[in-house]
Amino acid sequence: MIATFPHLGNVYIAVKALFDGLGIDYVIPPQNSDHALNIGAKYSPEEICLPFKIMIGNYIQAIEGGADTVILTGSCGPCRFGEYCELQMNLMKSLGYDLEFIVLDMPKDIGIKELINRLAAIGAAGRKSRFEKLKATKSAVQVMRLIDETEALAHYLAGYERNKGECKRLLHRCKKEAMKCSSPEEMLSLIKEYKKRIEYIPVDINKDPLKIAIIGEIYTVIEPYSNFYIEDKLMDYGVSSKRGLTPSWWFKNMILSPARINSLNIKKASRKYLPLEIGGHAKECIGEAILSYREGFDGAIQIFPLGCMPEIVSKSILPAISRDCDFPIMSLVVDDMTGEAGYITRLEAFIDLLERRRENVLYGS
Amino acid sequence: MYYMGVDLGSVSTDIALIDKNHDLVEKIYLRTRGNPIKAIQEGFKILKNKYDDSDISAAGTTGSGRIIASAIIGADAVKNEITAHAMAALEIDKDVKTIIEIGGQDSKIIILNNGIVRDFAMNTVCAAGTGSFLDRQAERLDIPIEEFGDYALKADTSVRIAGRCAVFAESDMIHKQQLGYGKAEIIRGLCDALVRNFLNNVGKGKTILPKVLFQGGVAANKGMKAAFENELGFEVFVPENYSMMGAIGAAIIAGDQVKKTGRTKFRGFKLADNNIFSRSFDCDGCPNRCEVVKIYENDAIIGYFGDRCTRWTGKTGGFLRLHSG
Repeated sequence: MIATFPHLGNVYIAVKALFDGLGIDYVIPPQNSDHALNIGAKYSPEEICLPFKIMIGNYIQAIEGGADTVILTGSCGPCRFGEYCELQMNLMKSLGYDLEFIVLDMPKDIGIKELINRLAAIGAAGRKSRFEKLKATKSAVQVMRLIDETEALAHYLAGYERNKGECKRLLHRCKKEAMKCSSPEEMLSLIKEYKKRIEYIPVDINKDPLKIAIIGEIYTVIEPYSNFYIEDKLMDYGVSSKRGLTPSWWFKNMILSPARINSLNIKKASRKYLPLEIGGHAKECIGEAILSYREGFDGAIQIFPLGCMPEIVSKSILPAISRDCDFPIMSLVVDDMTGEAGYITRLEAFIDLLERRRENVLYGS
Repeated sequence: MYYMGVDLGSVSTDIALIDKNHDLVEKIYLRTRGNPIKAIQEGFKILKNKYDDSDISAAGTTGSGRIIASAIIGADAVKNEITAHAMAALEIDKDVKTIIEIGGQDSKIIILNNGIVRDFAMNTVCAAGTGSFLDRQAERLDIPIEEFGDYALKADTSVRIAGRCAVFAESDMIHKQQLGYGKAEIIRGLCDALVRNFLNNVGKGKTILPKVLFQGGVAANKGMKAAFENELGFEVFVPENYSMMGAIGAAIIAGDQVKKTGRTKFRGFKLADNNIFSRSFDCDGCPNRCEVVKIYENDAIIGYFGDRCTRWTGKTGGFLRLHSG
């Protein structure tokens, strides 16, 4: 088995640690690019959402690199993501690829036995002892958490840094070097080292940068290619940003959800505006908007792919929050357009708006 | 001493010169025709005969081509269209509450309060209802775009046209036209549909309060103005220089910027005669595979755009300093 998986932000770093630890052969698809999107858009159903198309591009590029098995998380929730695995299996088959899919669904959907079977199928390919497998899984989870924390730190400190661009530079170097590590242990200590370096960059604590929260659909907020590298741009502008949805958040949320003790703060914050679970991460979007307002953020940007049902619902709720809390929220819809100018215009105008609001509040009128 | 503003838009390129009191002294309106560099050069050819380089004490750019424009002319300020339009509108009336701006590819709504932008929205992924679409329909009906709005005013009734999507709107228009409805009624129906689309889509969730300024190229269309007034129930004002508002705003912002920095980066009108052109290539430095654009002036590279990592922009060491002569 030569495994591959679709890209989602920094997940590839943790998966590398996992597969290295499990001793499984794998191919990481090339980073998302216009090329991957072109491949995906050519073969995917026209009306499907953007993540699907990019993922198809990932698979085909990975197959070119020798992959024969896709490992994918599933969902039987009420959003199109629930159909992804079936649709993708059919699509890849009709394109003539002999590709195995291992879909990791929630135990409540497929039963704990089936999930264990599927996990065992992955583990069997590596011929490692049970202890080694557990150790590899633990390290991978740690890597995921650490890289997410490091990234969040860099995004936040970018507003305070004295040497412009330092956070961005360190963060990108960290990711690049992590991919050169040959063992999970080496990778863990490298990321720890970089996290420390970012923690100790010279900052100006008297600065009061704009703070923007990134909310919305999970794939498009996490995967930088799909959102025009919005977080990198915010770092360039010297804006502190925060994003609640990360792969490690998703993992924790998934583990805790059977006991219904997942993301309690989000559930509580969103109750007034969206008391029901409508699929996708609509509840998280609403909850994050309220939480970031309470945490003193200046504004929020919602990002979602064209046609995303849960986020369309939250988009129509957000103006009410914006009005009630006097909290600016901008929505960005992404699709397979690669012209950036329009997005940069919106982003710059939003930052201008937040800056001018602040001047107005600070100095009175 | 004048401030210059260049609004390099998808359809038109506007150049405005304003004096110290922010009054418009010169306006040039050109069609971009897919060649932004040439449009700027053409504009500069006209200006060169009337003004000296030293007359320009500040230059600013806006519009979707603002970055390339700034590299070519040497801009003091590069600003997004929203802020530029808001600045120009506030210059006309400090109490303006809402700005409706419809250009070639974009439509926007800007909500202001006490002279501050409080909220804005732009069309999402679709350009239905913008200038390019109206242009195309005018062409199809064989009516000069300048007279398009007057036709709408001639109609007593309006034909219902689907406004959600340009493709739906067009096929609806063709069906109605083949049923024998008059051009005037169809055009009025189209204006109503586009206004409905704008208010439901771009203006969704926003409270539109008077005074409303309607600007951008489409504001020339009297049918659209009437349709907005009909739908909103109060008067909509079209400023005298409605199509120049972006350029005027950019000029005002540039003037403010030069007051801070002391001197302008403006490179002069002579670039009108130079050979400026661009070449693009796929960078193979990393898997991002950025499409990088190089701008040449007489065979010397004056700027790189489109690289994510600043590998290329870094190489020129700031394109504005390199080849100013």
